[in-house]
Amino acid sequence: MTSTFTPYRSPLKPAREGFGRLLRAEWSKFWTVRVWVLALAVAAAVTVAISQLAASGSVDDSNEHPLTVGPDGTRVNDSFHYVHQSLPAESAVTVRVSDLKGGGGRDPEPWAKAGVLVKASTKAGSPYAALMLTPDHGVRLQWNFTHDKAGSAASGTAAHWLRMTRSGTRLTGYESSDGAHWTKVGSVTLPELPNTAQAGLFVASPLHNNLRRSFGGTSETAGSATAGATFDHLAVSGATATGSAAWTSTDVGAPDPNDPDTPQSGPARVEPGTTTVSATGVYTLTGQGDIAPDETGADIVQMSFQGVFVAVLFMVALGTLFITTEYKRGMIRTTFTATPRRVRVLIAKALVIGGVTFAVSLPATAITFLLAQRTMRSNGFAPPAYPDLSLLDSPALRAVVGSAALLSLVAVLALALGAILRNSAGAITAVVVLVILPQILAFALPLPVGHWLLSATPAAAFAVQQGRTYYPQVQHSCLPESGCYPMAPWNGFAVLCAYAAVALALAAWRLRRRDV
Amino acid sequence: MRRARPALRAHPAGPAPHPAGPSPRAHPALRTQPALRALHAEWTKLRTLPSSWLLLAATVVLTFAVGTAAVSSVSTRECVSAAACHEDTVKLALTGVWLGQATVLVLGALSMGAEYGTGTVRTTLTAIPRRATVLASKAAVLAAATGIAAGTAVLVSLATARWILPGNGFTPEAGYPLLSLTDAPTLRAAFGSTLCLILIAFLGLGLAVLLRDSAAAITTGLGVLYVVPLMSDLLGSPTWKDRLERWAPIPAGLAIRATKDLARLPIGPWPGLGVLAAYALGVLLVGGAIFARRDA
Repeated sequence: MTSTFTPYRSPLKPAREGFGRLLRAEWSKFWTVRVWVLALAVAAAVTVAISQLAASGSVDDSNEHPLTVGPDGTRVNDSFHYVHQSLPAESAVTVRVSDLKGGGGRDPEPWAKAGVLVKASTKAGSPYAALMLTPDHGVRLQWNFTHDKAGSAASGTAAHWLRMTRSGTRLTGYESSDGAHWTKVGSVTLPELPNTAQAGLFVASPLHNNLRRSFGGTSETAGSATAGATFDHLAVSGATATGSAAWTSTDVGAPDPNDPDTPQSGPARVEPGTTTVSATGVYTLTGQGDIAPDETGADIVQMSFQGVFVAVLFMVALGTLFITTEYKRGMIRTTFTATPRRVRVLIAKALVIGGVTFAVSLPATAITFLLAQRTMRSNGFAPPAYPDLSLLDSPALRAVVGSAALLSLVAVLALALGAILRNSAGAITAVVVLVILPQILAFALPLPVGHWLLSATPAAAFAVQQGRTYYPQVQHSCLPESGCYPMAPWNGFAVLCAYAAVALALAAWRLRRRDV
Repeated sequence: MRRARPALRAHPAGPAPHPAGPSPRAHPALRTQPALRALHAEWTKLRTLPSSWLLLAATVVLTFAVGTAAVSSVSTRECVSAAACHEDTVKLALTGVWLGQATVLVLGALSMGAEYGTGTVRTTLTAIPRRATVLASKAAVLAAATGIAAGTAVLVSLATARWILPGNGFTPEAGYPLLSLTDAPTLRAAFGSTLCLILIAFLGLGLAVLLRDSAAAITTGLGVLYVVPLMSDLLGSPTWKDRLERWAPIPAGLAIRATKDLARLPIGPWPGLGVLAAYALGVLLVGGAIFARRDA
């Protein structure tokens, strides 16, 4: 019974098993199935059509309201209480700031500001540089709304010295805890600064945001908040006039009280700032408002890609079926007889399905973006409130290429899960649930859980469609329903890449270990 | 048939002599009532597939797990006072229905799609040529199986929520009554969510009958269950958002879980479930009509 035998070996040399042939074989398997090619075409058409439909329904009226725009065209908030005088080209302002606190007995907002500010004019949106104390973020040097540089960690409860020197268009900030030893915070060049600029003390406090759970989601309500601070040892060098009579108080960017849109009561009502000067030259200021980029507008880049969610479905089905059909029909045995190195087959399949889906998705997302932008521009999403984006602007390009890459990676993830489960129903359901459901649940669950879901699941990849910049110097709660993803665009995309890579590795391991 | 009995005993693994008829050991009523025979056949098909049990178990486990995770993540910190608290704890406890609907959809789709995939549908229709009977008995068996699994999932979710919530500050002393099925809206939410999952299984069945392919039916169904509600959440247009929330089967059908601020819902709980029922039964009826006329 125990006889050994040598299996038959063909004397012929084995055919060359080039990777190129393998790719070609898999490509033939794809394009010869008419339904799949059709599905791919329909996916592209649906992406464009649904996005266009969504874009045509969105309307914005920001441009019909007064709008403040910063020197670089960004929409900004620029309102604060300012005690100022004219300052010549060579000058310096030194002051000691203390007792930074919130109004009405409340804690100050984390980004409440009090300090020294040099500005081209008292017109909202004009160029400025400010050296300030904040309750939670220490000493900051900020300029022209979008720029922010951190100094020491002084919190404003203890007295702290600030000095801003001007030399032409160059402004330098210094800080000191005792008024004798000074540390440089940074210097800024403001090319637009006129010879005679405004300089002085300022206080501002951003809106107070309340997060509330209601109606099956988290909502945010904002109300005005006041900050107050005490300034003493005020010294101005190079100024023409001195004494408290030289100073003027202005509420920069205050809403026009005669405008019917200005709230006259309720939490959003803006109260004018106050200045009191003691006989010894101690200035006490209170003020509302913020000097920062305005992040309340819609994200017009992200809004252009609503159809991609529908395209995900097609990609999942194609990716899964590309391998599970082989198992179902028994074709996989032929495939693995022709190419016994199974991992190479998997790689070839992943490259073909990933490549084909990317090649079709890229033109689709590019057309989607261009058409949606055109529609949205005519619906009010136009300059100056919204930027006029071309396809090659970096957030737009990232979103277009990122969306196409997202779709192709979803197909690869589905292929890998199909290879692991060998079952279309399971693989399709698992991928759709992983990619789409976290976003729905993120709206309904408390914010920390929502954020976790949008960073730990493949749904994080949709962050790549974000076109808005979230500045660190603006407090924002990143609500999922306003289209905010907690991760940076490419970081979110990397989460999907990680999922696809792990799934492919598991699939490769299982293909090698298991019989077909 | 009686003579075949000893042969069957001798070769228990051998084929049954009349594959179309009920097994000789079956209840006598099965031999006389064709509808019961069809039901029995469908029950056997469902029962003997490991995937059915897996999906039913997954429905219970996933619905419970997601609901429990949601409930444990919430606390009274976001509420100013019990009177002004808008946290709908019943709805939150039933968050898992969002995931359970996927497994019951797949169960529904596979109950018909697998027959087309393997060719069993031809055997089925040879044995029971009345197609309406086949589809009706499939739907009945599916409804029973889904109903039991979904009902269990919903009850377990609510019971766990009742146990967890007081630990997160939702205590009767603080003004938050315990979850209880004697509370009419809670009972409606529990019963309605079970019905909702049964309807989604019908939707899967109907789509599979229409499309004759599990993968296509499941993909379409998942689109209805997940992509449509996601779009209704993200759409910038209030008109379209409102339309989808009222008239698309999924955001509308899940309104049945709400127990608070009903006046602010885009669509009421029962009308919402009605919208889902209209879609699910509509697809099933259209599928049935085509099934009766089309070749298998």
